[in-house]
Amino acid sequence: MEQILRIFYNNGSFFTFIGLQLLCLYLIVNFNSPQSAIAVETASIVTGSVKSGVGTVEGYLNLEEENEIQRREIADLRSRLPEAGYSTAVETDSIEDPTYTQRFIHLTANVVNRSPYSPNNTLVIDRGTSQGVAEGQGVIGSQGLIGIVDLATENFARVISILHRSAKISATLRNNAYGTLEWDGQDPRNMTMTDIADYLVVEKGDTVFTTGFSNVFPTGQVIGTVVSSETQAGTGRQNLKVALVNDPLHTNYALVVRDLFKEELAKLKPLN
Amino acid sequence: MGGVDTVSNIIRFFVLLFLQVFIFRQISLGWGGAAYVFVFVGPLFVALLPLRTPKPLVVIFAFFFGLAIDLFYETLGVHAAAATFCGYVRQFVLAVLEPKDGYKVKASPDGKDLSPSWWLAYLAYLTLGYVVFYFSMEAFSPVYWKQISLKSLLTTPASLLACGILVAFFRPRV
Repeated sequence: MEQILRIFYNNGSFFTFIGLQLLCLYLIVNFNSPQSAIAVETASIVTGSVKSGVGTVEGYLNLEEENEIQRREIADLRSRLPEAGYSTAVETDSIEDPTYTQRFIHLTANVVNRSPYSPNNTLVIDRGTSQGVAEGQGVIGSQGLIGIVDLATENFARVISILHRSAKISATLRNNAYGTLEWDGQDPRNMTMTDIADYLVVEKGDTVFTTGFSNVFPTGQVIGTVVSSETQAGTGRQNLKVALVNDPLHTNYALVVRDLFKEELAKLKPLN
Repeated sequence: MGGVDTVSNIIRFFVLLFLQVFIFRQISLGWGGAAYVFVFVGPLFVALLPLRTPKPLVVIFAFFFGLAIDLFYETLGVHAAAATFCGYVRQFVLAVLEPKDGYKVKASPDGKDLSPSWWLAYLAYLTLGYVVFYFSMEAFSPVYWKQISLKSLLTTPASLLACGILVAFFRPRV
C-alpha cells in the first residue's frame, strides 16, 4: 500500500496530467461540436470494427453447426436430382405372331455398376425380381453376349460376365458342331471354344452362335468369329480361339433374356 | 510582473490572460479562408512559474490558465488540454536544458541568471509543445495531420516571437 502511495507521490505530476487531460477531453467532447462529431464518428467506427470482429468469431464458432445444415441441404438437393431417381418404366418387347408362340422375352436394362477388371468380372444391372429377372437368365447386348444373372434383388441384379473364369456357355458353329465357350482370364477380346471334335474342319472366320440348349440365351445369337484352331493332342478334340463381336466389359445397354419355356424344358433334362 | 512570489504570479496570470484574450486573439493570419498563424502566450505563463513550484502544481496552474483562456475563446477544454500538456513537459524541458552547475535552488526562471539563448530554447520547447497539442486537440483526428503540421509550423515562430518580446521586456524588472 505504502509503495503504491509512493508511486503516486513520486509521479504526482504524471497522474495530475493524466487526470486533467481526461477532464479536458471530456470538456472538449461535450462543449465543442466539431470535436464531438469526430468523437462520435470514431466511437462508431471502433464499435463497428469490434462488432464485426465479434461476428467473425461467432461465425467460426457456429461453423460446425452450419456445416451440418449445409450437408443436410446438399443431401436433400441431391435426392431431387434426376440421377437419384430409379426408372420404373419397364420396356418389354415381344412379338404377336400366331405362327409362333413367344419363347424369349427381352427386358431392357442398364449397367449401373461393374467390378474392377480382373479374371472374374461381374456387373450389376438396374433390373431385378420386380421386373421378372431371376437367377440364371442370360444378358445380351445389342450384339453378342454379356453374361448370366447370378443374383437378383428387388430392383437390381448381379450378372456374371462371360469374361469370368467360371462362365461356361454352350456355343455352336454353322456345321452344328457344338462346344463350350470359356475365358482364360487373359485377353478380353478372345474366348476359347472347347470340345470340338478334331476331325471337323473349322475355317478361320467361321461364325460362333449360341445353341439355345441351355435356355439361357436365345438360339442363334452371334457370339463371335473363329480366329484359329488348335488340336489337343491325344484327346481327339480341338480348341478354337474365338474373337468376340462385342466388348462385354464396356457395354452399358443390355437386354435380359427370359425363356418362357425354361421350366418345361427343365423337366426334360437329358440323362447322362 | 517578473517576480517569483505568489502575488506576482497571480498578477501575471491575469495580465497574460488579458493580453491573450483582448490583444493576441485579434491576430489570425491566413489565406484561402483558413487562418494559419496565431499567437499564444499560454506557454509564457507556464515558463515563468517559479522553479521550486511542485510539478503537480505546475500542471494544475497551467490547466487553470488554459481553462480561463477557453472561457473567452469558447473552446472549452482545448486550450486547457494544451496548457496542461505544456505544464507537464516543463519538467522535462528544464531537465534537458539544465546548466552544468544546475539551477540555483530558489531561483525562478526569470532570466536574471540565465542567458538569452537559454530562454529562447526554453520558450521554443514549451511553445512547440503547446502549439502542437493545441492544434491536435482542435482538429481532434490524426487524419488532419497536414493542417496540424502547417498551423504548428507557422504559429510556433509567431508565438515564440511574442513570448520572447514579453520576456525581454519584463526580464530586467525582477
